[in-house]
Amino acid sequence: MFTQHHLTDHSDFIQLLSKEQQVEFLLLFNRVVDRIRRSLELSEILNIAVSEVRTFLHTDRVKIYRFEADGSGEVVAEAIHDQRLPSLLGHCFPAEDIPLEARELFLSARQRSIVDVLTQQIGVSSLEDGEVRYCDIRFRPVDPCHIEYLTAMGVRSSLVVPIIAQEQLWGLLVSHHSEPWQFTEPELQAIQLIADQISIAIAQSQILNETRLRAAQEATINQVLSLLHSLPEMKLQQALELVVHALNGSGGRLYLAETPTVLIAGHQPMVDLAEMNGFSKRRLKSSILFMEQHPYWQTWLDTEESAGGWIISDLAQSEAPAQLLEAFLAAQIRSALIIPIQYHRQFLGYLSIFRAAIDIERIWAGRIDREDPRQQIPRQSFETWRELRKNQAQPWTELDINLVQTLSHHFAVAIHQQGLYQRVNSLNASLKRDIQKRKQAEIKLSALNTELEQRVIERTTQLQKTNLELVRQIEQREREIQERQRAETSLARLSHQNQLILDSAEDGIYGLDSQGKITFVNPAAARMLGDEVDRFIGQWMHVAFCHAQPNEVPYLLSESPIYATLRTGTIQHRAGELFQCKDGTHFPVEYVSSPIHERDRIIGAVVVFRDITERQQIEQMKDEFVSIVSHELRTPLTSIRSTLGLLSSGWLESCPEKSQRMLEIAFSNTNRLVRLISDILDIERIKFGKVMMEKQRCNATELMIQSTDAMRAMAEKAGVSLSMHPISAELWVDPDRIIQTITNLLNNAIKFSTSGAKVALTAEIHAANSSEILFCVRDEGIGIPEDKIELIFDRFQQVDASNSRAQGGTGLGLTICREIVQQHGGKIWAESQIGQGSRFYFTLPLVSNSSHSSEDHYEQANSNH
Amino acid sequence: MNKRILIIDDEADIREATQLCLEVAKGWEVITAASSAEGLEKAAIAQPDVVLLDVMMPDMDGLETFEHLQANPVTRQIPVILLTAKAQATDRRQFTQLAIAAVITKPYDPLTLGDQILAILGKASH
Repeated sequence: MFTQHHLTDHSDFIQLLSKEQQVEFLLLFNRVVDRIRRSLELSEILNIAVSEVRTFLHTDRVKIYRFEADGSGEVVAEAIHDQRLPSLLGHCFPAEDIPLEARELFLSARQRSIVDVLTQQIGVSSLEDGEVRYCDIRFRPVDPCHIEYLTAMGVRSSLVVPIIAQEQLWGLLVSHHSEPWQFTEPELQAIQLIADQISIAIAQSQILNETRLRAAQEATINQVLSLLHSLPEMKLQQALELVVHALNGSGGRLYLAETPTVLIAGHQPMVDLAEMNGFSKRRLKSSILFMEQHPYWQTWLDTEESAGGWIISDLAQSEAPAQLLEAFLAAQIRSALIIPIQYHRQFLGYLSIFRAAIDIERIWAGRIDREDPRQQIPRQSFETWRELRKNQAQPWTELDINLVQTLSHHFAVAIHQQGLYQRVNSLNASLKRDIQKRKQAEIKLSALNTELEQRVIERTTQLQKTNLELVRQIEQREREIQERQRAETSLARLSHQNQLILDSAEDGIYGLDSQGKITFVNPAAARMLGDEVDRFIGQWMHVAFCHAQPNEVPYLLSESPIYATLRTGTIQHRAGELFQCKDGTHFPVEYVSSPIHERDRIIGAVVVFRDITERQQIEQMKDEFVSIVSHELRTPLTSIRSTLGLLSSGWLESCPEKSQRMLEIAFSNTNRLVRLISDILDIERIKFGKVMMEKQRCNATELMIQSTDAMRAMAEKAGVSLSMHPISAELWVDPDRIIQTITNLLNNAIKFSTSGAKVALTAEIHAANSSEILFCVRDEGIGIPEDKIELIFDRFQQVDASNSRAQGGTGLGLTICREIVQQHGGKIWAESQIGQGSRFYFTLPLVSNSSHSSEDHYEQANSNH
Repeated sequence: MNKRILIIDDEADIREATQLCLEVAKGWEVITAASSAEGLEKAAIAQPDVVLLDVMMPDMDGLETFEHLQANPVTRQIPVILLTAKAQATDRRQFTQLAIAAVITKPYDPLTLGDQILAILGKASH
C-alpha cells in the first residue's frame, strides 16, 4: 500500500523511464520497500538500499553518508561495483568537506546535485515544499574545488541526494562513478523515492531505537523500582549498581543527607577530605565525612548550570574546584551526572553517576592539517588514516538525563518511604518495646503491688503496734506530765509555801554562797538588820552584819563560827553573839549555821537566827526572880537552921532563956517561910488558871466585914486605926479570893503605916458605870514613889525591902491581888503620894438585874449569921 | 585565939542567931550592925578580925559596903566574908572578881561556921 501509494504519487517519472528501467525500478523499489518492511535494523536497510540503488543506477559506488552533530560525517553503508572505486565504508570526512551552507541547502531546499567532472557541470534540483519538479535540473558550472575534490577521489560523476529524517539532515545518499555518467531526471526522482524510503526507515529505526532505549530504560526503572521497593529492606546498593550499569557509568554514588551515608558503586573520586578540610580548618567541622558535605561541593554545584541536576559532560571543562577535579580525574572519571534527590521540596541527597573517559578511534579519509594555511584548498589525497582520540568525555544524552532524573525521583520516593517505613518500623519496634516494657512493668507492678500490699500489711501491723506503743507512751507521757504538773504545782505550792514560810518566819534566815556572800535574805532578817532585803544580796556577810562575840569584840573572819560552817561543814549553834544593825547598834542573836551540801561539796550555808534581846531580858528577869525567891527562901531558912542548930548542939542547955528565944525565932521564921511558899504557889496557880474561882452571889458588905475582922488584930497590934464603910451590893465572885484580896491590901496598908495612923476600907458604886463596884483601901503610910507605882504589882517588887523584911512580907501580895481581880474581870491600881499615904483601888462587876433574885436569900442568910 | 567578929545584916533574927552561935561555939567577941552605915562605922572603930557582910540590904548592898570598907584605909585590911542568900552562879560570879576573902552561902551550918571562918582567915593570912 505504502509502495503503491508512493508509486502512484510519483508515477509520472516512471513513464519517463525506459521499459527496462521501469521494470528495474519497480523491482528495486519493491525490494527496497519490502526489505525495509521486513527489517527493523537500519544498517541492514541501508546496506540493502545502497546495494539496490547501485544495481539500479549501475554506478561504481553507492554509499550512505551520515552526518555527525559536528558536521563531519561517516560512510555507514556502501556498495561497490567490481572494485572500480575504493571502499570508503567506515571512513569519516571532516565537516569542512561538506560546508555548512551546502548542508543547509541539503536540508532547506532538499537540494540534490549531479556533478559531471568531465563537463565540470553540476546539476542542481531542489524540492519545493516537497513537490517534485522533474525537469528542474539546472546545470551550471561546478566549483573547481569541488571538481578537484571529486577528481582526487577518483570520481568522474556523482549523484547526491539528501536523506532527511525528522526534519533533520540525517545524511546523504551518494552515487559515484569512475567514469562520466549521465543521470536522468527520472533516475533522480527514483533515487529520491528510495531516499525517501530510507528516510522513513531511518525514522522508523530511530523510533525503534528510541523505543528500545525507552523500553530498556523502563526495564531499568522497573528493576530499580523493584529493588527500591523490595521487602523487607530496599536494596539501594543493588539499585545504584543497576543505575550505573544502565547508564554505562564507570561508577556512581548515592549520598543520603539525613543519615548521612554514602553508597558507592564502581569508581569513586579519590577525595582526600582530610586534606580538603586542612585548607580551611577554621570553618570546617570534623564531622564532614563525605565530599557531598564539603563546602567545596556546594560551591561547585552553585557555579554549574543546573537543569533539574548537574550535567557535567566533561569535568575537565567544568568549574569544579581543583581538589575535587583532581579527585575525579585521578579516578578516571570524566563525566558526571549529579541529580538531587528531592521529595517534594525536601532535599534527601544526591544521586551521582560517573563516566570514565574513553578512547575514540575514527578512520578518516585524508588528513587535514588544520595548521596548514592551504586549508581552503581541496584535498589532494583521500588516503585513509586512522585517528585515535584518547581520554574523551562521554557526553550525557537527553535520555540519560531523563532516566537519571526519573530514577532520582523514584529514589527520592523510595528513600522517603523507607524513611517513613523505618520510622514506622522504629515506632513499631518502639511500640513493641514499649508494650514489652509495659507488660514487664505490669508484671513488675503486679509483683510490686503484691509486695506493697504485703508491706502495707506489715507496715499497718507495725504502725498499729507503733500506735499502741505511741498511745501507751502518750498515756505514760500524759501521766508523767500530770505527775510533773502535780509536782510543779506541788513545787510551786512548796515554793510558795517556802516563800511564805521564809517571809512569815519570825526568825531571820539568810543564805551564803561558798565564799560567804549573801545569796538570800528573808524579810524578818532584813527587818532585824534594819535594811531592805535587796541591799544584802551579794554582800559579804561578815561585812554586812559585823558579827561580834557576846563581849562586842568583832570576830576575825577566820574565827567566825559561820565561816567555820562554810569551811568545815560543821553545824554551829550559838547564842548571845551579836549582829550589827545598819544603824550600828548591836543585838544579841541565837543562830544555827548549817552547811548546804551538793554532791558532797559545800556550796554554801544557811543561817537561821533570832533576836534574843527580849529573851535575854526575860532570862535576866527570871534569873533575878529565882535569885530573889532563893534569897527570900534562904533568909528565913538561915534563921531557922541557925537557931535549931544551936538548940540541937546542946550548947544552950544551960541558958533556957536563950533556948526559948531561939525557938521563937525559929517558929517565927517558919511561919514566914510557910506564907512565902503559899504565896508563891498561889500566884503561880492563879496565874495559870489552875485555881478555879468558885463564884457565887455575894454581898459586898459581908465581904468587907469579914476582911476587916480578919485584920483587926494586926491593926490593933500595930496601933493602926482600921475603919470600914460598907455598902450593900450584889456581887458574883469567889468570896474567899475577894476577902484574900481585901485583907492583902489591908495588911500592906497596916504594915506600911506607923502607929496611930488610919487605914480605911470603903466601897462605892461608880456613878458613871453602875455595873461595877469600886473598893478602896486607904492608908497614911510612907507612900510609893511615882516611878514605882506601876511596878508594885509585879513579883517581889517591894518599894523598900528593909521595911519588907521588917514587916515580914513576901513581896507577892499585890501580885496575887492583881491576878484575883483580873480573874473576876476587874481592875486594880494604886495612887500615892510620898509621905501622905497610898490608895489602892479595885473594881468588881455587879450582878445583873436578872440575877438579883437571890439577893433576898443572901440577906436572909446574912441576918441569920 | 579570941576573935572579934563584926556581923552586918539587916535581918535581926539572923544577926541574933549568928552572934549567939559564934559566941557560944567559939567564945568570940561578936559585934553586930543592922545596916551598912552602922557596919562601916563599927568596923572602923572596933577593928574586927573579920567582917561577916550580908549582900542584900535595903539601904546599901553588901558590895557597895565592901567598896567603902576597901576605900577606907582604916578598914581596908580587914578581911570580909560575904554572907549571901543568893545562891545563883551568876550572883556568885560577880563576887569572885573582888578582893573578898570568901563567900558563905546562907543557910550556913551554925556548928561549923566558926571553923569555916578560921579556915578562911588562915588561908587569907597565907
